[in-house]
Amino acid sequence: MIALEAVTARSARIVVRDVTLARGPGVHALVGAKSDGGTLLLELIAGTLRPQAGRVQVLGGKPTDGSVRQQVAFVRVAPCLPEALRVHEVLEIASAIRGEPQTDPRPRLAALGEEDLARRPVRSLSREEIHGVALIEALTSARVRIVLLEEPLVGLDPRAEPRLESLIRRRASEGCTVVLATASVRDAGELADDQVVLRRGAMVDPSSAEAGTPSAPAGARLRIMTKDPMKLLAALAQQPEIDAVARRGAAVIARGPDAMALAQAGGRAVVASGVDVIELQIEPPLEGVRAE
Amino acid sequence: MIAALLRPTVARLCRTSRTRLVVGAWCAVGIAFAVGARARALGHGADQVLVGGYGELVLPLLCYSLVGAALQTRSLSKSIAPLVALGAVPARAAAVGVAISFCACALVGSLLAAASTLIAHGSADPPLSHDVLASAYAGALGGAAYGSWFVFGASFGAAGLGRTLFLALDWLLDALGGAAALVTPRSHVRNLLGGLPPMEWPERWSAFALLGLTIAYALISVYRVRR
Repeated sequence: MIALEAVTARSARIVVRDVTLARGPGVHALVGAKSDGGTLLLELIAGTLRPQAGRVQVLGGKPTDGSVRQQVAFVRVAPCLPEALRVHEVLEIASAIRGEPQTDPRPRLAALGEEDLARRPVRSLSREEIHGVALIEALTSARVRIVLLEEPLVGLDPRAEPRLESLIRRRASEGCTVVLATASVRDAGELADDQVVLRRGAMVDPSSAEAGTPSAPAGARLRIMTKDPMKLLAALAQQPEIDAVARRGAAVIARGPDAMALAQAGGRAVVASGVDVIELQIEPPLEGVRAE
Repeated sequence: MIAALLRPTVARLCRTSRTRLVVGAWCAVGIAFAVGARARALGHGADQVLVGGYGELVLPLLCYSLVGAALQTRSLSKSIAPLVALGAVPARAAAVGVAISFCACALVGSLLAAASTLIAHGSADPPLSHDVLASAYAGALGGAAYGSWFVFGASFGAAGLGRTLFLALDWLLDALGGAAALVTPRSHVRNLLGGLPPMEWPERWSAFALLGLTIAYALISVYRVRR
């Protein structure tokens, strides 16, 4: 679906050199700082930048072809939407431009829990809300087959993070190619199936010292959303089965060797801390256990 | 598709209170010139108002404001970025934005010229109905040319500063006179409104020149942001 052959490109002071890459359906991460060229590669795939050398092919055509553009969604970290319109109008014109049938915008917005924004003017939205609407447009469009996301979790309402993850997974399982550029190894590990590490515009081996980043962490992952994440974080840190624990917004993420041990440790920590759990996710899912 | 591309620019022009305020203010200035001429009971009231206040000051600044509103006071490429992000082809989005900009300028320029003529019409002016139609026609051509000129200006500079530069260029090139004055709308608008012609050009030539400038600057603007 996406093929870059010996691509060299420059934008301002950022340069990528001799990048060759081919990716099909799934979730793929370009890991590195912005100056390493991840966003620049997304711009090349989106057709907003032309390579100085090499070839970029998207969906079998040039990224600048009209029919290809209709199927590519590029959500920047600070996306811009038509300010004078309302959110439902933005989704309507996006559907018209992409050549897909008009659908009720509310169910689309509900994908990230933003259905209340439908009648709001874009100019009244916060940056986080604009980011959310842009992500919804990209990830719920029936026509879009390539989704390019720059730092998808940055500036997003923490309550929307688990929904975004499942939305990305669902689109990938439907045959979409999702490419995200991020400086966060943790985000790449949680969201993507595979990672390409970029350093100063070149692809490097993820395991090399130059990469400086580990590959996606193995084992199980537990995400608990609560109103008092610090209290839960302290309680989780006491559990011997947990290898690592971190807070992201209202969510606490814990990693451990296996899902069952992690779930038991999480349960103990919740009871010990006495916090109210808003949402709980465990990956991989526990087999033979039914959610109550 | 075209309707979808039209909506953001039309919404910027119709729904933004700042646009209504600025455009309303320039229209009020134009009407004030006309009312002033009528109060002085000038024989060639309409001629004087159109060549003077309307053609020299109000029409360029009105079109400058309208184009600014249509492009959200940004560069042309930045103003179409939201549509491109939604999958639109840049050249198509720009063409629609440019077309709406110069159409809006032509419409408002035409209506204001007709209104100014109606108010300031003097005893020595041509017959009223003929004068109103001729003024509306000149205002429409001039407005369209100015709209295209300022959109072309907005294709330069990151924050649309080119639009302001082109406002100054319009005055400057006209002041230089000669062939330099032919590339901006000012001298041709003045000729159509009954003022001094550039390089002794007849009115018909200036009308064609305004039409040509509108099309040429619109096409170049679209070409510049085609990617």
